[in-house]
Amino acid sequence: MVKTYRPENLQEALRIRRETHAVPLAGGTDLMVRYRSWAGTLPKFPWPVLFINHLTELKTMGLREDGLHIGAGVTLSEIEREMEAPQALRAAVSEMAAPALRNLGTLAGNICNASPAGDAVCVLYALDAQVVLTSLSGARTVSVMDFITGPGRKDLNDDELMTDIIIPHANFSHVSYRKVGTRKANALSKMSFCALAKTKLGRIDDVRIAFGAVGPTVVRSWETEKKLLGMDADDLKDHLSAIHDDYDAMIHPIDDQRSTAVYRKQVSLNLLDQFLQNLVKEL
Amino acid sequence: MMTKKISDSIRRVDAVDKAGGYTQYISDMSFDELHYGRLVRGLRSHARITHIDLPALPDGYYFITKDHIPEGGKNEIQQIGTDWPVFADDEVTFYGETIGILVGPDREKVLEIERSISIEYEKLEAVFTIDDGLAMKTGLINGTNNTYADYHLNKGDVDAGFARADQIIEDEITTGFQEHLYMEPQGMVAQYVDGDYIITASCQCPFYLRKAVANVLNTDKEHIIVRQAVTGGAFGGKEHFPDIIAAPLVVAARVVGKPIQVVFDRKDDISFTAKRHPSRGIFRTGLDKEGNIVAMDVDVTINAGAYMSCSNIVLQRAIFSINSVYDIPNVHVRGRSVATNAFPSDAFRGFGAPQGIFLAEMHLSHIASHLGIDPASYKQRYFISKGDTTITNGLMHDEVKLPLMLEKAAEASDLYEKQRLYATGSGKGMGVSFYNHGAGFTGNGEKEIIKARLRMKKHRNGHVDILLSNVEMGQGLQTTFPKIAAAILEIPMEDISCDNPDTSIVPDSGPTVASRSLMVVGKLVERASQQLKERWDESPEVEVEVKYIHPEGCQWDQETLQGDAYPTYGWGVCIVEVEVDPATAEVETKGIWTVHDVGIAIDEMIVHGQVNGGVIQSLGYGSLEKLEYKDGRFYQNTLADYMIPTSMDFPMMSSQLVDNPYENGPFGAKGLGELVFDGASAAFADAVQQAIGKNINRIPVTPEYIMEVMNS
Repeated sequence: MVKTYRPENLQEALRIRRETHAVPLAGGTDLMVRYRSWAGTLPKFPWPVLFINHLTELKTMGLREDGLHIGAGVTLSEIEREMEAPQALRAAVSEMAAPALRNLGTLAGNICNASPAGDAVCVLYALDAQVVLTSLSGARTVSVMDFITGPGRKDLNDDELMTDIIIPHANFSHVSYRKVGTRKANALSKMSFCALAKTKLGRIDDVRIAFGAVGPTVVRSWETEKKLLGMDADDLKDHLSAIHDDYDAMIHPIDDQRSTAVYRKQVSLNLLDQFLQNLVKEL
Repeated sequence: MMTKKISDSIRRVDAVDKAGGYTQYISDMSFDELHYGRLVRGLRSHARITHIDLPALPDGYYFITKDHIPEGGKNEIQQIGTDWPVFADDEVTFYGETIGILVGPDREKVLEIERSISIEYEKLEAVFTIDDGLAMKTGLINGTNNTYADYHLNKGDVDAGFARADQIIEDEITTGFQEHLYMEPQGMVAQYVDGDYIITASCQCPFYLRKAVANVLNTDKEHIIVRQAVTGGAFGGKEHFPDIIAAPLVVAARVVGKPIQVVFDRKDDISFTAKRHPSRGIFRTGLDKEGNIVAMDVDVTINAGAYMSCSNIVLQRAIFSINSVYDIPNVHVRGRSVATNAFPSDAFRGFGAPQGIFLAEMHLSHIASHLGIDPASYKQRYFISKGDTTITNGLMHDEVKLPLMLEKAAEASDLYEKQRLYATGSGKGMGVSFYNHGAGFTGNGEKEIIKARLRMKKHRNGHVDILLSNVEMGQGLQTTFPKIAAAILEIPMEDISCDNPDTSIVPDSGPTVASRSLMVVGKLVERASQQLKERWDESPEVEVEVKYIHPEGCQWDQETLQGDAYPTYGWGVCIVEVEVDPATAEVETKGIWTVHDVGIAIDEMIVHGQVNGGVIQSLGYGSLEKLEYKDGRFYQNTLADYMIPTSMDFPMMSSQLVDNPYENGPFGAKGLGELVFDGASAAFADAVQQAIGKNINRIPVTPEYIMEVMNS
């Protein structure tokens, strides 16, 4: 039998987590599927389970000085409806799974899944999002990209819970999010693409470009983004193929049951080119 | 009250219970002391079983193998052939073959025991593809050349035709596996009670099941009682495959002496049940100077897998469909069903016709594009008409309304204007396909093999029972059969019952397959109702029985496959409009327009339900449903990876019907369940090839494949 815990509050949850290393389960939309068993038998969790879905401390969402805070218990549907949430994040969330799953699933769960194909994660990389990891000893804040260390691997100590996601304030004049799914709804990603840019006086003032499901983790390059800063339309036009080549060298997708490496790579570069060409026109 | 016209829709008798969730399916049914069974499968593609290490079984738990087959019983399942064993006989010949069945009262315990069973094998070489099978790379799997059948059809004089050819167009076109994905997975309960075996099953063909297991048990068919449980979809997947589950299950039921349930989880159902046959067509077509076809030579192969099952009958329909709605002069078709170590393929809505029609529709489109002619216009040249000769040198008895149907579909879709606007390769395209489906069994199958019988019974209180063996599996038979009877008897629908069949009660009116139920069995309902009406006042209780009568003028030779392959045909036109995204090669389907001739609709709403479901299922087959066979097993085996369409993928469909009554169907109705699957995948692929300006040679037409074609 699987040992389960349903704490009264966050404090108790943290204590159970420290004592038992029970694995937190919020919506359960990933874990219940992953550990499902024969119909009529219980899911085969290999560790104790800590239910956190009901903890009100984790249910808050709102703007603060350092950005938008999204509690670990906030569902994807709630983010989808949140007007203060960045456009790209709302777009990504609204295309995840199906409405019933979005009513249960959480963004924190999606991050903790640490899947390179996590749709929201690609956007969170581009938004420089951070996560707050809390234990009885205190809290630490790390960026999403440092938190996810590989497919299914994450920087989470066995006494910590993810309690909050912080999306720093930023405004973008150009937002492009594209999920290339296995079908048009209720689908997993073959790849996803998020590009954000801000222009000022005809030059690129801020730009972030992220590719999901094309490598062990989301692909984002500060080096290449830095090259783009300050460019005007003519500069960008001159550098289109160099930028293309930069990403070409970075993107190493695989063949799997959903798509092919060749397709993933070409679509990534096509969407990149499309975004940059539009930017040239609009600078 | 009865509606005025038979086609006017009424509420389905099962609508409220199914929509409301009240219906009890096999997993909802309760049985005293129910035990649970799990098939223990050989997880090798080809291997000799050298040792089975079984843990000590607690009391009440059983591991049933071929050693438990009763004395005199055979380790073979009686299908069309008998090659598929109940339990792997020392050798596993495909990944997932049944070795034994583990049974017990507690599911957790059964799982625990299953995990500790270890099977040792000696690996043998395996082949999975048509080419490797034909090349006999690993020696012989079946027959003398690794085929289950090798057929030839000849119409006209092919050599003389080719002698007149100015040019020859060659093509190789392929189709993939397809998963049925009925909503309710495979499931049944078997029990042994006082010498009788009772099988309660989600299935299409109760009498097939009875026949399949009789020799295994070495018992009289009358001691096997099959009760159909409410069946949540089937699509051909519950035609023969339930035999494969029932056979080991009845052996276990006899040993255990308790009811045993086997219900597949979805992943098991996708991984370990039969699929649609993959196919390949190699075409050589001769054209004269004007671009007219003077001869056609086609080599059709299907991947049948490790056992024959019904592959040869599927193959027959596939090759008969190679000219489908066309009268083409001088044709030779060779058809082979190839033995491999793949999971045996089996019946699936359309039964070979979707493969044959797709191969031929694409080839004709390629010829038209090569000639610079729009494919729909080119194909029209060859429309078959009443009195023309079919590919099996039979006579087209039907009036063919295809020109009218094309006119209607073209008008609804604005075909010609859009064709003018969308240049080839512009990213936008209109695809058109034409198809027919021979309704009922091939050739003289109804007369020689099935010999359907049906009874109707009037009770003292005036209530009428229709006794037949065809099952409701979502297609509406429990509404349409009584509707036919009600119209003739002029009594309310509520006074007529048509219950799930029980083989100990109903006569054998044949299996629920081949688009035969409404047309052939519905005709029996019509005739029985007429007789019952005449004899209504004869006595308080009246029973009538009718037998199948073969249509006059339909001649068939099953040895040579010559004559009238089918008594009649349903007809269809499908137009699909697409737009291809230049960055991702994703396809947006902008519209779907169909026109079908199903004779007369017995219920328009039910017909539209069939049209919508069949067309969307076909579009899924054509676009999304990639099912790769990798390392000898199905690679996309979850609902997260095996993609069937959602309403977002194919949002808009317009469908029309034309009336064309058939005298041997009730009220003029013809079969339609499979027809509506047959053509949409070709229309979709045709639309994509118009949009990208390059030939499409296989389905599913995934964005990955489109990009590959665009880059070539």
